[in-house]
Amino acid sequence: QHGRVKVKTTAQQEEEKRKEREKKLQIYVAARDACFTKRKDGVFDDEALQLTQQLLSSNPDFATLWNYRREILLHLETVRNQDEVQKIYEAELSFLESCLKVNPKSYGSWHHRGWVSARLPRPDWARELSLCDRCLSLDDRNFHCWDYRRMVVKMSGVPVKQELDFTDRLIGSNFSNYSSWHYRSTLLPLLHPQAPDTPSQCGNPPPSASPQTHFHRVCEEQLLKEYELVQNAFFTDPNDQSAWFYYRWLLGRAERDEMISCVYVSREEERVAVAFSRPVNAQSVGLLLILDGQPQRVEWQSVHPHFKNSPVWICSLPPGTISDVANEHNLTVHWTEKHSHRDCALYTGRSESWCRDTATDLELFRSELSVEKTSVLQSELQSVRQLQELEPLNKWCLLTIILLMRALDPLGYEKETLAHFQTLKDVDSMRSAYYSDLCSKFMIENTILKMEYAEVRVFSISDRKLTTLCHLDQLLLVTHINLSSNQLQQLPPQFAMLQCLEVRIGTLFFLLFFINLNSEISTLADLQPLASCPKLKRLDLRGNPITQTTNAEAELAGLLPSVTDLLL
Amino acid sequence: IAQLKDVIIKPDAPSSLLLDKHADYIAAYGSKKDDYVTYLYCFFQLVIFFMILSGKMDTINVDKAVEFVLSCMNFDGGFGCRPGSESHAGQIYCCTGFLSLTGQLHQLNADLLGWWLCERQLPSGGLNGRPEKLPDVCYSWWVLASLKIIGRIHWIDKAKLRRFILACQDEETGGFADRPGDMVDPFHTLFGVAGLSLLGDEQIKAVNPVLCMPEDVLQRIGLQPDLLS
Repeated sequence: QHGRVKVKTTAQQEEEKRKEREKKLQIYVAARDACFTKRKDGVFDDEALQLTQQLLSSNPDFATLWNYRREILLHLETVRNQDEVQKIYEAELSFLESCLKVNPKSYGSWHHRGWVSARLPRPDWARELSLCDRCLSLDDRNFHCWDYRRMVVKMSGVPVKQELDFTDRLIGSNFSNYSSWHYRSTLLPLLHPQAPDTPSQCGNPPPSASPQTHFHRVCEEQLLKEYELVQNAFFTDPNDQSAWFYYRWLLGRAERDEMISCVYVSREEERVAVAFSRPVNAQSVGLLLILDGQPQRVEWQSVHPHFKNSPVWICSLPPGTISDVANEHNLTVHWTEKHSHRDCALYTGRSESWCRDTATDLELFRSELSVEKTSVLQSELQSVRQLQELEPLNKWCLLTIILLMRALDPLGYEKETLAHFQTLKDVDSMRSAYYSDLCSKFMIENTILKMEYAEVRVFSISDRKLTTLCHLDQLLLVTHINLSSNQLQQLPPQFAMLQCLEVRIGTLFFLLFFINLNSEISTLADLQPLASCPKLKRLDLRGNPITQTTNAEAELAGLLPSVTDLLL
Repeated sequence: IAQLKDVIIKPDAPSSLLLDKHADYIAAYGSKKDDYVTYLYCFFQLVIFFMILSGKMDTINVDKAVEFVLSCMNFDGGFGCRPGSESHAGQIYCCTGFLSLTGQLHQLNADLLGWWLCERQLPSGGLNGRPEKLPDVCYSWWVLASLKIIGRIHWIDKAKLRRFILACQDEETGGFADRPGDMVDPFHTLFGVAGLSLLGDEQIKAVNPVLCMPEDVLQRIGLQPDLLS
């Protein structure tokens, strides 16, 4: 029950109300029981229609009665001719219209209308569309009506362009229009899809394109027009959140193709690690390892036993297979389900090898922008900045400025981004934890980009108020990590994806890899994920509360037996 | 221009948990047979469906079911009733619960969905079900449980939400209403109590966000649905 205000009454008023309710209840129960009896006896007569109509008029959510009514109508279809059936169903639509006037949000009524429309010998889809127009003009957030409208459009082949124009009208005139923007998000990819392999042409839509598949792409020409449309909306009313939500979607990147993004081989550990562009279950997707032309029988394991689906999987090769540093080996990992594979050559004298697409190659954190798009986004950024000066307490402006800066130049705007996040946390303090995590994510992305440009395997991000760790699947090759002076409270289980955090003693050099944590690690459980980093040798926990616990050294030794260098 | 829809919590609204009152309310409700059945039936249908789903996965084509649910995912990371339907917290709860039970949570865009969900919190501290709607105590469950399942419950202001839920109590009759001052009913009472449990109230047993049942009951039968961290 929603929206029923509690009203206080006297004892006498209560008694009168109770008597009235009793009377109504008796009439209702009698009619209801009569319906149930008739149905049980398989009776589908006029009286049944009348009784159900009477009850459903005031109880349109009584699903059982709609079911019975449909049984009656189905029966009538078998004993009446088509013209009569047409009239019966038209009368039904009339009845439904009166039901919907009283309660436009009844699942039962809308479902029944859909059922009737589909069975009507000569449906009048134009009339149904017009009913939707009227209903939406009264309440353009009525999702029952929107869903019904989508059915009518589908059944009667209304052109996508016509529906896009409809959303244009609605967006232009009403301020409560999240439903319209949502509808637009489903129509746009149908009308202006970006074909998967061609860069940015507006071609004919492929017949199987669905907005809900990972082709959320819209061709660039249309995308740029759409930015303008949305900007008009949020400039007209900066507090209308729907436009800002929609804009964030426009700024987003398309989902990546499914592929193997990295293959790493370690000669010493005789181990292969494979990273995918999204979490997979390697045990069920046909992952094949070929070594020097020979298929290998290996057991693929997720980096952490808890995860059946993981972006990183590892397997061990039989001992002696690749251990001799004098031998060269060629590996191929096949993802047979996706017809994708990756090769990796392990050369003589080398103790490890890898083959990968970097985050930069894959445009993971930043898309390569065309000249037009860059120009448009830069002018958008300027405009939203101007708006922000006029509306300093508007959090949507601040967040959108950050998102635009990320799209244009994540590294160049890093300082400004941090400053804006601070303001955002002040302006919208209820969601400060969200902003902290989002900022952490962006700082991690920047650090990964810098690491890739410098071509080093050191991930260092200290004193950035990090509250969360993410993108750990991009750190497979990292040997040295520094997370000091942040606000991390625990290490996520995904930390096990850092498979290269280890000590190597080669014939020519000695390299020491270590972790430096100076955050808020306070319990042994917080460090559990480190147990999955195979050869962690040195751990610097100075400055963490855990060092204050009694018996810390012994317990840590038990948890991390391979660590020989423990700094507390 | 858009007016932000929200409620105002009056200074004299209830601010502590009236456990005994609620116990009395539910106990008294059990004596009115007709009402009880209607409410419980809907709830049990859901629970039984979930239990069947987790015990007998082989009787349905899980891959196809997952495919259908994912086809209901929208531009904002949320889910609607059918493919193409607008995101709604109730549907999001059903879909995240389903994806948890079928081990498919990794298919969600947790950051995007988590953002949409935490934006349900209004200045009053209450949660609505979708943009520009009024807050409602039952969304303390649909939204909060969804956030818990995807590992982002810390993205809402817990203290403010708790204050809102408590304000929805009826000091006279016990029970919770959808909003402060409205009439109470068992539906909102359940979700008010469950919401408080998720927020960490120590006077209430821990509730499982996927199945809306006490955790100790589920531990006993060895049922622990996936959650994202």
